Amino acid sequence: MEQDLAVVGVAVPRLGLAEKVRGQARYTADLKRPGMLYGRVLRSPHAHARIVHLDTAEAERVPGVHAVLTHQDVPQRRIDADLLPLEPLLRFVGDEVALVAAESEVIAEDALRLIRVEYEVLPAVFDAEEGLQPGAPSVHPQGNLVGGKTLVVERGSVAQGFAEAAQVFEETFHTQMHAPVGMETRAALAEWDGDRLTVWKTSRAVHASDRQTLARVLGLPLEQVRVICPNMGGGFGNKDEGRLAVLVALLARKAGRPVRIEYSRAEEFVAGRNRQEAHMRLKIGIQPDGTPTAIDLHATMNAGAFVASGMNVTRRVGQGALYLYTCPNARFEGMTVYTNRPAGGSFRGLGAPLGHFALEVLMDQIAAALGVDPLDYRLQHHVTSAGQPGQRRTPPDQVLPDEPVEGGVPFSSNGMRECLLAGAERIGWRRRRQPNGAGTGMLRRGLGLAMGIYKGGTGREGEAEVRITPDGRVQVAVGGVDVGQGSTTILAQIAAEALGVPIDRINVVMADTGRTPPAHVTAGSSTTITTGAAVKLAAEDAKRQLLALVDGLPQAFDPEVAPVRREDIVGTARVTSGSNAYLTNAFAAHFAEVEVDIRNGRIRVLRYVAAHDSGRIVHPRLAENQVSGGVLQFLGITLREELYLDKHRGVTLNANFLEHKSTSIVDFPPIEVLFPAGPDPVGPYGAKALGEPPVVPVLAAVANAVANATGVWLRDVPFTPQRVLQAIHEHGKGVR
Amino acid sequence: MDHTPSTVAMNFGPQRTQLHLEVNGQSRPVDVEPRTTLLDVLREQLDLTGAKRACDRGECGACTVLVDDQPMYACHLLALQVRMRKIVTIEGLAEREDFRRLLEAFVTNDAGQCGFCTPGFVVAAYAALRRFPEADAQQLRWELVGHICRCNAYENIVAAVSDAGRRR
Repeated sequence: MEQDLAVVGVAVPRLGLAEKVRGQARYTADLKRPGMLYGRVLRSPHAHARIVHLDTAEAERVPGVHAVLTHQDVPQRRIDADLLPLEPLLRFVGDEVALVAAESEVIAEDALRLIRVEYEVLPAVFDAEEGLQPGAPSVHPQGNLVGGKTLVVERGSVAQGFAEAAQVFEETFHTQMHAPVGMETRAALAEWDGDRLTVWKTSRAVHASDRQTLARVLGLPLEQVRVICPNMGGGFGNKDEGRLAVLVALLARKAGRPVRIEYSRAEEFVAGRNRQEAHMRLKIGIQPDGTPTAIDLHATMNAGAFVASGMNVTRRVGQGALYLYTCPNARFEGMTVYTNRPAGGSFRGLGAPLGHFALEVLMDQIAAALGVDPLDYRLQHHVTSAGQPGQRRTPPDQVLPDEPVEGGVPFSSNGMRECLLAGAERIGWRRRRQPNGAGTGMLRRGLGLAMGIYKGGTGREGEAEVRITPDGRVQVAVGGVDVGQGSTTILAQIAAEALGVPIDRINVVMADTGRTPPAHVTAGSSTTITTGAAVKLAAEDAKRQLLALVDGLPQAFDPEVAPVRREDIVGTARVTSGSNAYLTNAFAAHFAEVEVDIRNGRIRVLRYVAAHDSGRIVHPRLAENQVSGGVLQFLGITLREELYLDKHRGVTLNANFLEHKSTSIVDFPPIEVLFPAGPDPVGPYGAKALGEPPVVPVLAAVANAVANATGVWLRDVPFTPQRVLQAIHEHGKGVR
Repeated sequence: MDHTPSTVAMNFGPQRTQLHLEVNGQSRPVDVEPRTTLLDVLREQLDLTGAKRACDRGECGACTVLVDDQPMYACHLLALQVRMRKIVTIEGLAEREDFRRLLEAFVTNDAGQCGFCTPGFVVAAYAALRRFPEADAQQLRWELVGHICRCNAYENIVAAVSDAGRRR
């Protein structure tokens, strides 16, 4: 299916980057409206408490204060199943108590200090296992196990698979709570015009989350609510919750003036959404030759005070265990548990990197136990284009659902083998890798690898409108958000390609419910594959209409020389991405080279190769930037980043960049990015998911490299010097 | 005035003052409290929002401006401290002829993703290239070490700044 493409696959300049470089690009907190006030939030100092008495009189008397909002002022309608705008029960240190709108931020902060709150402090629980014990403090009335049951997905029968196994391996793994914290903190600005509301907000779901939530909670017809996300300063799967939008709208209504709220950095860490801590137990059975007969993963996820998108996070933990290796029997069990921690939510890759960490470390151990090179082991056992063994359950005339567990369904394309071979070649695996733990001396080097599979984008609805104006300009309107990944550019490329016009003729409008068709949340690495497919079809629709008008005119369509009518030509399309016949997944193989200083436990990453099958690469430079950025982001999480909580009071101890240990410009080597695979038959122009896959194999690639260097697999993330030293010590692999 | 005890208690420190700051070559009147930062004055009173408030505590560099040609964190300066000093923001730099090479190099090298940290990096890069016109990539990397990019577009940023240095 090689096609001659003019714009897709070409590295055009990222749209909007010049404005960003010049400092002209406006983000939510850069916006001002006439008469605008500044809002600040009073947050709970207790992990679990009930408001007994609340007195705002003094705060209201502060000159410059226009409104104070408490739980007594807000509609008791739910934002999410477990979330009200404000309520007298507080569930984590940082939960919203009250808000103030004032003429400056400092006045608002002064007033916050004058709100008198009497709390009844309740017993709190911070650990997921403890939260499941009988008699544990109840975070929500319906119980601490979210949904009241364990999520179970199974293909075949793991019981039978273990019965058939010659050998069974089992380990436990732990990954930490950490924060995505894009450079831009959450912000929102609300303005009322009578009973019409406009909200500008940092949001990756202006249609699906914020607008719907605002209309429902405020009791407004949908058409009276407009939500706009201007430029967004980093999404990483975050910034989708509706609470901030609702509160800023209520505060603005009470104040009678526009109000802007901008989170401080500390608030972003604590009251944003972080990645849930995970405890995992993985059991794998194999035949004598190493062929897996059963893979069984159990995860307990600490969701914090509100579950947000946490169930999706949990579900994704199982993705690798269910799909990465050819295996007739696989099961994933996930428990999502409320605690009095800051709320978890979605963060790039959701649970997939966590489950992959457990899986790819244990598979490395299995290869070592068998005396097989881990590359050969994976080449032999990774899932192929045929998909998993077993019977298809989805009726053949239906688009395959989001994440089916069934076998008998092939992949539309599967470049895992190419990724493994290209990555191994680049890092010099065959030439340079020594047996695990063979090194001596203080500085020990090792090579490690890990694979990744990621379902991206399919099974979602995408809508697009492509408008050709009489002067030959093209406007593409989609409801998704460019969270910083560059989808504006990608969608413009797809429209230009489909219409056969230069890209500078295209203007892309996104993330404004007043100007774009509905859209799902920008999530799951779905924009290129879903919205891109809709843009392609809408452009083809517009082109067809235009060609019909100029019927009989020679050859190519050129909007500039075809001003045949005064009205715009509007092409529209609505698609459900994916196919009846195939699963469409992205694949990756990562290779890390590390040096471990066994005196102090420090890990240095010397080289890192990331080979990806994301189908056709629509924009090579943007894609490389995405992969490199994702890997670096996760190298920081692998080695350092963690959100620490005071275990007695639940106070977040390091809610800032330095102590959360954000990756800097001098920490890691350049990431070597490879795209060895070809186009996919399902995605638009052969593209597959790209945004999240780069983060999926990182934890395990580093862990396996450390094991190659030292002979010890780390099973507790992050791999701090202390943990490295402890692991080496326990295994007697220290100085010799 | 309503002098109830609580509003008297609200009298935090010295009063507001009017002063002039020299920003991007112009003298601009501003109205500040002693605790008002340079960053907040630039963003809220002068609507110069290119300097971003990302950490507000001197950790990330997104608010970097030039003060007497030195790159500084605007969140870590009080407005009162920078009277009589020449402040240049990204908006001011973008007007200069010698800014073009940085602009072109950043776009060519795709040296940004979400763009929120970008103006801070660019201001620091501008200052670094002026101070060390011969700097190699490694030195430039260390010149930019006070800046955080959570998209981790670091390598492209280093490539862009090195590239701009060569374009002199």
